[in-house]
Amino acid sequence: MTDTYLVEPDVEFIKDVKALGGGDVKKCFQCATCAVVCPISPDTKPFPRKEMIAASWGLKDRLVKDSDIWLCHQCGDCSDKCPRGAKPGDVLSALRSYAVAAYAKPKFLADWVNDPKKLPILFAIPVVIFLVIGLLTGQLNFSPEPGAIVQAKFFSVILVQIIFPLLALLLTVSLVLSLKDYLNDIHADAVLYGRTKKKELDYKELGQALVRVLPIILKQDKFSECSENSDRDTPHLMVLYSFIGLAIVTGIFFVVLDVFRIPGPYSQLNPVKWLANVSGVTLLIGSGLMIKNRLSKKDDQVSMYKDWYLLGLVFGVGLTGMLTEMTRLAGTACPTYFFYFLHLMFVFVLFMSLPYSKLAHIAYRTVVMAYNEYSGRK
Amino acid sequence: MANEKTAPQGQSLLVVGGGISGLTTAIEAAEVGYEVFLVEKNPYLGGRVSQLNQYFPKLCPPTCGLEINYRRIKDNPRIKVLTLAEVEKVEGSPGAYDATVRLNPRYVNENCTCCGDCEAVCEMEVSNEFNLGMDRIKGAYLPFGMAFPSRYVISPQIIGTQDAEKCKEACKYDAIDLEMETKTINLQVGAIVWATGWEPYDARKIDNLGFGLYPNIVTNMMMERLAAPNGPSKGQILRPSDDKAPESIAFVQCAGSRDENYLPYCSYICCMASLKQATYIRERYPDAKIFIFYIDLRAPGYRYEKFYKNIKADENVFFIKGKVAEVNEDPETKNITVVAENAVTGEKIYQTVDMAVLATGMQPCTATAKLPADLQYTEDGFIINDFAKGGMFAAGVANKPADVVSSNQNATGMALKAIQTLVRR
Repeated sequence: MTDTYLVEPDVEFIKDVKALGGGDVKKCFQCATCAVVCPISPDTKPFPRKEMIAASWGLKDRLVKDSDIWLCHQCGDCSDKCPRGAKPGDVLSALRSYAVAAYAKPKFLADWVNDPKKLPILFAIPVVIFLVIGLLTGQLNFSPEPGAIVQAKFFSVILVQIIFPLLALLLTVSLVLSLKDYLNDIHADAVLYGRTKKKELDYKELGQALVRVLPIILKQDKFSECSENSDRDTPHLMVLYSFIGLAIVTGIFFVVLDVFRIPGPYSQLNPVKWLANVSGVTLLIGSGLMIKNRLSKKDDQVSMYKDWYLLGLVFGVGLTGMLTEMTRLAGTACPTYFFYFLHLMFVFVLFMSLPYSKLAHIAYRTVVMAYNEYSGRK
Repeated sequence: MANEKTAPQGQSLLVVGGGISGLTTAIEAAEVGYEVFLVEKNPYLGGRVSQLNQYFPKLCPPTCGLEINYRRIKDNPRIKVLTLAEVEKVEGSPGAYDATVRLNPRYVNENCTCCGDCEAVCEMEVSNEFNLGMDRIKGAYLPFGMAFPSRYVISPQIIGTQDAEKCKEACKYDAIDLEMETKTINLQVGAIVWATGWEPYDARKIDNLGFGLYPNIVTNMMMERLAAPNGPSKGQILRPSDDKAPESIAFVQCAGSRDENYLPYCSYICCMASLKQATYIRERYPDAKIFIFYIDLRAPGYRYEKFYKNIKADENVFFIKGKVAEVNEDPETKNITVVAENAVTGEKIYQTVDMAVLATGMQPCTATAKLPADLQYTEDGFIINDFAKGGMFAAGVANKPADVVSSNQNATGMALKAIQTLVRR
């Protein structure tokens, strides 16, 4: 820190951070209250004071490589106690969004996800894919035969089973490439600024560290440590577990379908169905509470497009899923197929947004928490 | 003085507040020939300054400056001092105000010689507000040794008790009048200067700094009283929990200041006050370590900066750039640990000290209770001077946070402004 350092401010970066929710960053006068009141900030090179000055100065390169921005779970203690209303919590949230976009591959998808004007295009992608592939292959049937309502009559299972795994594969490749670059950068940065003693990045040890932090992530311990988070703690945990539940249900469904050739929908008496129903309802309630909290502005945190985008998608997935099931049980075919179509579109866009939107925190924060454990940062 | 020059008939001036600003305005105006009513709510003049141990940067005791002002008041028949007095209502317009003033009973008349016989017989004790409640005094008391007017006060809390009667019997000079009642008078004045001053910001409101929770956390004004020879510890600085001589002290700058959750503004004086208080400690305890935690240090002007540089050169004084945002107490030793991030090194510091001083700011008295007059205030409660309208002016900290020097300059200026209102009619 005592070395001579020529600051080269990236003014566009400052503007971007402000647009992503860090609008008050320039109010910071570096008192460092934030770094002290933060319940989870480390003693050595604590955040977020250093991020606040780097953001004010437009030090983009330093910040996108700064893994500390992911150690923050945005409880808002810092913003609450900030004497200037500079809202460090929201600035870090903006920086995370910026970092996700900076490492996104391809980059334009990250720009689309953060741009309200591009929302129709994002939804048009699955619509076009499903319609084109469906009509070309004849797997999409607009006049399903009457009788029992079965989604597969409308959208063939094959269609779903081609498109989604393909999407998952592309996303995984994209995410792995991004995270690989990211890991190398954050390690170099931690070495440069003395936050770790490790010189070379050892992936095996990193993997072991990941195993050690998984229980913390699953129990959401760090998030709950943030004292201001009590309102957000439960809804977030509900959404997390409902997604895990739905992932299990989907997994079972496809295995049973492909291996045992038993198609859905399942009877309401089937335990897998119970899990699906419980998860679906939990998802709706959890994301609904999150929306309610943000609307009531109980906490001072700002809500930007990036926040509403993700919440909207999550709530949309839950809502269309439940509506599909309810209309099916009510025996109304047309609404069932309509909501099912909507549901698949929401699921597609949500999946597609994973590496580019706020949802990327699942990957980035997990990586950083594992890296943090590995590097011995306390 | 210039007795041959007299003011126009009925053209007198009301100064509200007998602290350093009010005293200055009153005396300056009176010495150029105007009749002045000086109204003070306490039983003594001198205000906050009289509670200080020393002024910065010259480190002389406040009696230095106050005494000469009292002398000027005694010499000047144009100043009428009303203590235990509060303005209840102001009506009228520039040049012609009618001020209603309530005079609370002192229960002691001008026969008092300060012999102390009443105090000796009185048994009841009341909280000593002059020492910020750090000790107790008898129900019959002289506010402090240099109090002016030099006259005892009977606390309203002992009125109606046996003690009050005993005091009256003990007085050889027939100076105690327990039948004294609240009186209301009306003053016809041409202009009013509000020098209503300030109160130390209530440190209990700063919920992360432990004041009121841990005995060894005191405020800067409490430190002044601890260091003052007429204070609760007779000038020894001892930590409150066990009267131990402190070996280490932390100063927490901007405690509740420059903070939109508390006082959003800078009180201007707290940096210099803490630097000054560092000298109190160095003088008494040459080996004590002093830690000053700050965001920015403000020592404006040549003399203040020189003062700061001298302290900075002291090897037992450590400056840490970083605001204290957390404090803890060791329940065994009652030591205090202050937590800050050193913004220069980027490391968190957990500094354990024997006691901590919160450098709290000044809040104008008008922030909590608005005056019974047609005045405009800033968001923070300071009085805005409307020079175009004239007639009423605020001087000293009633107008803005200021040190003694600036307050005196400002108060002199406001005396002139008030005189202009008087003569322009």
